[in-house]
Amino acid sequence: MEILIFFLHGLGYAGLLFLVSAGLTLIFGMMNILNFAHAAMYMLGAYLSYSIMNHFTGQLWISLLICPVALFIIGALVQRFLLRPVHKLGHVHELLMTFGLAYIITELVQWYWGNYPLAVNVDGVLNSTVHVIGLTYPVYRIFIFLCAIVVGTLMALILYKTRLGIIIRAAVNDSEMVNALGVNVPLVFTGVFAFGTALSGFAGVIAAPLLSVFPGMAHEILIDAFVVIVVGGFGSLGGAVVASLIIGLLQSFGVLLIPQLSMALAYLLMVIVLIIKPSGLFGEESL
Amino acid sequence: MKKQGNIFICMSGLILAGALMPVILSQYHLYILTEIIIFSLFAVSYNLLLGYAGLLSFGHALFFGLSGFATALAIIHFPGLTLLSTVLIGLAASIIAGFVIGALLLRHKGSYFALLTLAFSALFYAVAVKWYSVTGGDNGLNIVRPDLNLGFASISVSGLAHFYYLTLIVVGATIIFCWYFTQTAMGKTVLLMRDNEKRMQFLGYNTNFARLILFTFTGALAGLAGSFYALHFEFVSHMAVSINMTTVVLLMTFVGGTKKFWGPILGVFVYIIFQNYLSDLTDRWALIMGFIFVFMVLFVPGGLSEVIVKIQQRLFGKRNDNGVKYIASEEGNL
Repeated sequence: MEILIFFLHGLGYAGLLFLVSAGLTLIFGMMNILNFAHAAMYMLGAYLSYSIMNHFTGQLWISLLICPVALFIIGALVQRFLLRPVHKLGHVHELLMTFGLAYIITELVQWYWGNYPLAVNVDGVLNSTVHVIGLTYPVYRIFIFLCAIVVGTLMALILYKTRLGIIIRAAVNDSEMVNALGVNVPLVFTGVFAFGTALSGFAGVIAAPLLSVFPGMAHEILIDAFVVIVVGGFGSLGGAVVASLIIGLLQSFGVLLIPQLSMALAYLLMVIVLIIKPSGLFGEESL
Repeated sequence: MKKQGNIFICMSGLILAGALMPVILSQYHLYILTEIIIFSLFAVSYNLLLGYAGLLSFGHALFFGLSGFATALAIIHFPGLTLLSTVLIGLAASIIAGFVIGALLLRHKGSYFALLTLAFSALFYAVAVKWYSVTGGDNGLNIVRPDLNLGFASISVSGLAHFYYLTLIVVGATIIFCWYFTQTAMGKTVLLMRDNEKRMQFLGYNTNFARLILFTFTGALAGLAGSFYALHFEFVSHMAVSINMTTVVLLMTFVGGTKKFWGPILGVFVYIIFQNYLSDLTDRWALIMGFIFVFMVLFVPGGLSEVIVKIQQRLFGKRNDNGVKYIASEEGNL
């Protein structure tokens, strides 16, 4: 029974990880930018949600609507006015830009919201527990996992079943050629970046009631999300799904089995994957 | 050749000036100057990776902190050791780590490499935080500087001025050695590898091995800086292996500029002095640093050294020496 609980815990965290790393891996696959600001956006989403829930309305779904939209706009502005101008300077400068952005967002958040953890409470159904086969389990963790499934399914549908999806996948493969075919690739880039940022904000809103809101939350999820995209393979959505599940469960069972080393387990897995298959589980061979 | 002689004279002049500093400066400023020298080595080693080899690493603090911890642990657990042997232990630790990690990671380039170094750094950070019995966890390790035993005489370096001289000699000499390295055939190979690796491979160079040597070398340099960091503050904690430490060295290097050898040193001076000045004025100095950084990435991508070189050219005409052109060419390939 205990094992089942840890399994569910792992699934919950895996859902959260997927929401963050899906946007990250998409942005990476498309623009070849490792977006260091991604986790900072996640944190920003969580803090925005805190303010909305505590000072405006106690409803989680309002937060879930407003925050991703706000972050979509922020993401679009960042891509258009900060990342696009440095694109011509090369990858290092793009990386440094996202790095600086992450730094600034973290500092701003600490300035405005303070340096201490803040609790976000949900009420209603989400705050209750379910009783199944003799187990008591909080609904909220299951809700997170369901959200991840819904978002993941929607993303897969858009990517693989729509014309927009075809354009995005083509641009991931060869953006110059797609541009030459008459698609406004820079606009698609902005859209994908903004969408990824919004997804990250969405994850932040969902994470807030579970993990509470604190300045270190960006750093924690960033490293895990990076491990996910290394293990899953750079730019692969399917890889992100599988790797999120592996890392989530590994973290959860790691705490159960070897508490001191639970943090290091994920990195060890990453090192092993790197040695055996450097391109990641689902990555393409030619990098 | 004349140019090299000039730089050598410049460096000797700087070191001579450095020798006079304990007389001129107050204790507080001497303390900061020692810190600046130590971080200069750290930044120079970082720039050998970033500016010369075109490898963006987010895990350079790993070697810095690892060596700091190794030195501190040696002092705590082997009380009889002399100062230099504890530094050597730190150095050995960072060399081994550099070789092993480099062998694992150097197949990857660009963003992949950056990400993987970050993950390794995170691994070491996790160990430093969790392995409480060895690393002291959140509390860190407090140490006392051992005496410097030269064989014929034992000198106490517990006083700041003495330690300052030791730092100036050892770290200063290492920085000069780094400059010399960039002038050697090996140093030039690194530059050419960055600009056109394929061609170097066709010419018969083993580029992967050369890169591994360079990675280990810069790791060792960062390790030396880390040892002195631990000795200078007489304290080391998980902050030394954290991402923040890499952020700091990255900011310093970038502010100074990656295209000149002396760029990062300038960056360290500006960063530390500016930080000390700002942190007296406001608690939000880190935010201001962040804005300056983003501003520089957008508008001054070459850093302060580029600005200075441009002003120099404006004032004295296009008197650009070969070395500069070499490094300044093709930065887009980074």
